[in-house]
Amino acid sequence: MVSQYVLDAVVYASLFGLMAVGLTLTYLTTKVPNFAYGSFVTIGGYTSFSVFRINHVNPYFAVPLAFLLGAVVSVAMYLGVLRTLARRGSSLVALMISTLAIDIAFVGIFGIYSDYIGSYYRIENTKNFFRLLADFSLFGLPGLFYVTPISLATITIALFLFLTRTKFGVAMRASVENPSLARVLGIDVERAYIFAWFLAGGFAATAGSFSVLWLQGGTTFGSGLIVEIFAASVLGGLASVYGAALGGLIIGATEILLTQTGIAVFGSWISIYQKGFPLLIMVITLLLFPRGLVSINWHRIIRPIAVFVGLIGNRLGEIFRFVRGE
Amino acid sequence: MDVPTFFLFGVNIIRFMIDLMIAFALYLVVSLSLNLEAGFAGVPNFGKVMFVAAGAVVAGSVSGRLAAFILGVNTHGNYNGFIAQIITQLDSSLSGNAVLSIEILLLGVLLAAAIGASLGFLTSYPAIRLREDYLGMLLLASAQLFQIFLGGYEALIGGTQGIEVPNLFGWAGNGIEVRDVVVLGFLALFAGLVYFYAERVARSPLGRTLRAVRDNEVAARALGKDDVAIRRNVIIIASAISAMAGALLTFYVGAVNAESWTRITWTFWIWVMLIIGGAANNAGVALGAFSFTFLFKVVDQVKFYFQGSIPFDVNWLEYLMFASLLILILAFRPGGILPEKSSVTLPWRTVAEIMGPKSKARSSSGPQFGTPERAKGDPDEPSSAPTT
Repeated sequence: MVSQYVLDAVVYASLFGLMAVGLTLTYLTTKVPNFAYGSFVTIGGYTSFSVFRINHVNPYFAVPLAFLLGAVVSVAMYLGVLRTLARRGSSLVALMISTLAIDIAFVGIFGIYSDYIGSYYRIENTKNFFRLLADFSLFGLPGLFYVTPISLATITIALFLFLTRTKFGVAMRASVENPSLARVLGIDVERAYIFAWFLAGGFAATAGSFSVLWLQGGTTFGSGLIVEIFAASVLGGLASVYGAALGGLIIGATEILLTQTGIAVFGSWISIYQKGFPLLIMVITLLLFPRGLVSINWHRIIRPIAVFVGLIGNRLGEIFRFVRGE
Repeated sequence: MDVPTFFLFGVNIIRFMIDLMIAFALYLVVSLSLNLEAGFAGVPNFGKVMFVAAGAVVAGSVSGRLAAFILGVNTHGNYNGFIAQIITQLDSSLSGNAVLSIEILLLGVLLAAAIGASLGFLTSYPAIRLREDYLGMLLLASAQLFQIFLGGYEALIGGTQGIEVPNLFGWAGNGIEVRDVVVLGFLALFAGLVYFYAERVARSPLGRTLRAVRDNEVAARALGKDDVAIRRNVIIIASAISAMAGALLTFYVGAVNAESWTRITWTFWIWVMLIIGGAANNAGVALGAFSFTFLFKVVDQVKFYFQGSIPFDVNWLEYLMFASLLILILAFRPGGILPEKSSVTLPWRTVAEIMGPKSKARSSSGPQFGTPERAKGDPDEPSSAPTT
């Protein structure tokens, strides 16, 4: 039997990986940290919640709907607010404030929606709800334990194939790396950006629709996850979707494992500081290697270690041969 | 003793005005401090709530214990556990002792300022090193963590349940409204001082240096300005001011809990005031704070008429309203209602007068700076003569 905190770590890690990939996609294109990103997670959460509580359908069937909803809203936000403001020459700070405003507007919309379905369908606890008890179980383990890592892996591999093997994907990378040069070459940069925002909103909502099967949900539950999402993206370097996936895995796993270890060693009061671990990792990342994991020259770190290990191995081999009398 | 009542549209206007002005004074202080950081120095603080809450925490946790210690109230070694009992005893002692009440109030506010300044000093470390976007993410995340911490760590301010705070205005009388008028007096004095300070900074060489650092860090550095120290000091001062406002709010309300310190209430609303009014313009920020507070309070009164007729809580519409208002302002009037003015320097004629004796002495050696004829005719002279 797998212990609870290993399950927690796997699910958290995969969910944050998914979310960080989306946030990084939006950052890559517009270079604005999207403070409203957490609310896209909430969109997914409410899609699952509504489908389960109103239509009594398993939330897993809500995932495509959640993806689509999050994606469309995300594109609307990009076209309606961010691009409009950017074209009017807004500064970076103004754009950041506008994403904060959108986040607040989302909280309002979720509030209205939850009040409405609460009174119309006579559902209780719409503004804050416990995790939905609808997960299937396979070999005695909850379904999310399989579904979330597989989703993250699928999405990362699909993104890799898309960005390197398809023409549009290569065009998208070009638009991100050098928009003016890409325009000169006839690439429709806008279309690439819109598609990036489409995917980003979709990934967030997908992660959100999974996460209400595992975590508490509510009008601000996505906004509350912003600590981990930002930490994961920053750790990944905000410049690479693979880095973001890796960052999410590390953040999710360390948060759970460190907290559980802390509780075992020091007592349950440690759990207040659970979100302190991702923040600490974020601070360390910003101080030591602000361009994230992908910027570290692993070659330079690994080679000396490899050489050292090789030397030790040689010496051990000599000793071994000497002992055998060769 | 009671404050007279006067009804208009079924609302007690005097009560309404007192509430409005108290909220305005507090919001004005915090938005002016944000203006110092974000407007003048160009440090976008997206974690404002953390600094205001820090002051409230000091007021909520330290001042009560201090009062209990001074007055010899038995806390049974568990202040939060016996809070109701302790506060009742404290209130009855403090209501007869105005001097001690004010001393504890001032001490609490000063302590809050100290804590806020330390927090600001900590924040300044990343703030002067990171780009705006990374800084925004870091501060937003830190503020979120701080709120979670306040909710979880109950020894401080009782977590989400909250704790009561001794009534330091009990000496002003038993009527709630008389007390409120006294509080308003204190807050107005405080807000006036902060406004005076902010305006002095804005019009001083320091203010112009701040803008120079904000607009072109490299040029400011080349002119010998220590941009790092300037930014750090502004963050420290602004954080101290916000913390004082948080402490005063807590003393006024008489209770504090972790729930009220959210990204919406003390980060977003403050940014709304700053953007509506006009960043880097103190009068604009004051106007923004007043417009926001007025709208907020009026909506508060009006919304109950609609409560029955729509199937959701009207408060949510407030979020949508202010979010759309902010985005519209950003799109159509990015400078706010009163945009930033060019720096106020001395009038041209005064400069000429000051330069007078010198320029006379040098008059034989060709053209000099500041003579009116030259200022009009020469295309090399700066074309925008500063005005007052």
